[in-house]
Amino acid sequence: MSHVDDGTLHAYLDGELAPAEAQGVDAHLAQCPACRERLDVERALIARAGELLALAAPPERELPPFRAGHVKPPARAWWRVRQPLAWAATVVVALGIGTYLGTGLELLRKSETAADAEPVRPSALEAPLSSERARRESRVAVRGAARKPPAAQPAVPAPATPNRADDVAQQRDAPVAAHAEGATYPVPAPAPQAGVVSIDARRDVLKGAPITLDTARMLLGRDPFAVPGAPIRAVYRARELGYSAVVILEQTLDSSTVIEVVNRRRSPFALDEVVVAAAPADSLSARGRAQPGRARVVDTLAVAPAAKAAGRLAPYETRNWEQRRLDNLEIRISGPLPNDSLQKLLQLVQPVKP
Amino acid sequence: MPQDLAEVYRTTYRALVRFLYRKVWDAERAEDLAQEAFARALVHKPENARGWLFIVAANMARDDARRAARERRHLTLLKAEPQQGNSAAEEALEVESDRARVQAALDELSPRDREALLLWDSGLSYEEIAAQTGLARGAIGTTLSRARRRLAQAFEAGKSGEHVARG
Repeated sequence: MSHVDDGTLHAYLDGELAPAEAQGVDAHLAQCPACRERLDVERALIARAGELLALAAPPERELPPFRAGHVKPPARAWWRVRQPLAWAATVVVALGIGTYLGTGLELLRKSETAADAEPVRPSALEAPLSSERARRESRVAVRGAARKPPAAQPAVPAPATPNRADDVAQQRDAPVAAHAEGATYPVPAPAPQAGVVSIDARRDVLKGAPITLDTARMLLGRDPFAVPGAPIRAVYRARELGYSAVVILEQTLDSSTVIEVVNRRRSPFALDEVVVAAAPADSLSARGRAQPGRARVVDTLAVAPAAKAAGRLAPYETRNWEQRRLDNLEIRISGPLPNDSLQKLLQLVQPVKP
Repeated sequence: MPQDLAEVYRTTYRALVRFLYRKVWDAERAEDLAQEAFARALVHKPENARGWLFIVAANMARDDARRAARERRHLTLLKAEPQQGNSAAEEALEVESDRARVQAALDELSPRDREALLLWDSGLSYEEIAAQTGLARGAIGTTLSRARRRLAQAFEAGKSGEHVARG
């Protein structure tokens, strides 16, 4: 056999040669000192390239929250309703809102309480973030182990490749798994329906670094909304899946009351089909109306002991919030105030002019 | 969904951000693009989400580069934002200069070599890299060996060049 070329050596060291080819390389290396030397050089080069790329890595950050939640029919299905039936849809919507307002609160309260009383199960997404790295490291380790002394280890078939193939196959064989996973979260929202995957906005948005109002303007592409007259204490950038920009304005109403005005701009690519679970009345808000009392009142007395025992009573959950859509933004106000007060504040919001 | 996108998110998000970061060189932007890619995946429900995400991400990064010229003013403003306290500033500078040297070294690679190297570093297999770059699977080893060598050489050259310049 002629000498092994660089490309083959790299594929060999990367664990990407077919078993038969790898055997051929092993055989050649066993009797060619020059190629064994080159093997060491190339191995060092691969390690060096990896080191260099690691220097050019983005800062490690917490994995932003993401959950493929329950599924909903696309909002645009409503537009396809034929005219003669449109009145029926209106009646259904009206009845639905009435029922929701009537019983929704009770149901919510019950489901929240039940949900929070349950022992907290670690979700797949909140599991250790290092698994990807672990997988990669194990892959590298496998690669290294399989390819060290060429003579001493004859014909080990590249083990990394089958593993990967399994991974992929496993992923492929998991249809609607996200749906099933959704069941591990208590979601006080409409029953699952076929259609579109939505993201649950109950998970806190991930608050990022403080920014200036100018930056907030740039991110949103317009003036952010805030309650006029209340001092803006701080502005934060945040991220949330399904939104291309999220900005949080903290405003102080009085010495002890701080509200958050969240300005969210939908990701343009997901406008129709990525639905945020906390905003189920999409067809309503799309018409510019404030959402009907989406009061997510948490009965703190009932919930607190269980939640505290589970050690997860986030401050956010003791706050109420109200939400409406203004132009291309979704505005949400949250704070330690009753929902009707928040609703009033929500009607007051004005763009913050430079 | 054709596969568990949540699981793909957990295992692939960081690699995707890393991949994008080395194209747009802005951590925030890279995260935005990665999230957009996942938001699109939610809608499109691709068969092989992982490969699909990297293809979409590469396209978005390319579009982003085209937009970059137009938005340069904005980016400058963004970067003028105070990021952290002074104490960390010096250390950040050190890290920054290494990062800049690697960026410059990557720029010396041909687009195809760079793409293959970044995809490999993101955890894609030769098979997947071949599918994405249009290279033959058998050519990936050669491409990667060339890319790695050039990266190391360009980095060293940049380093020594800088030392000379500094005197």
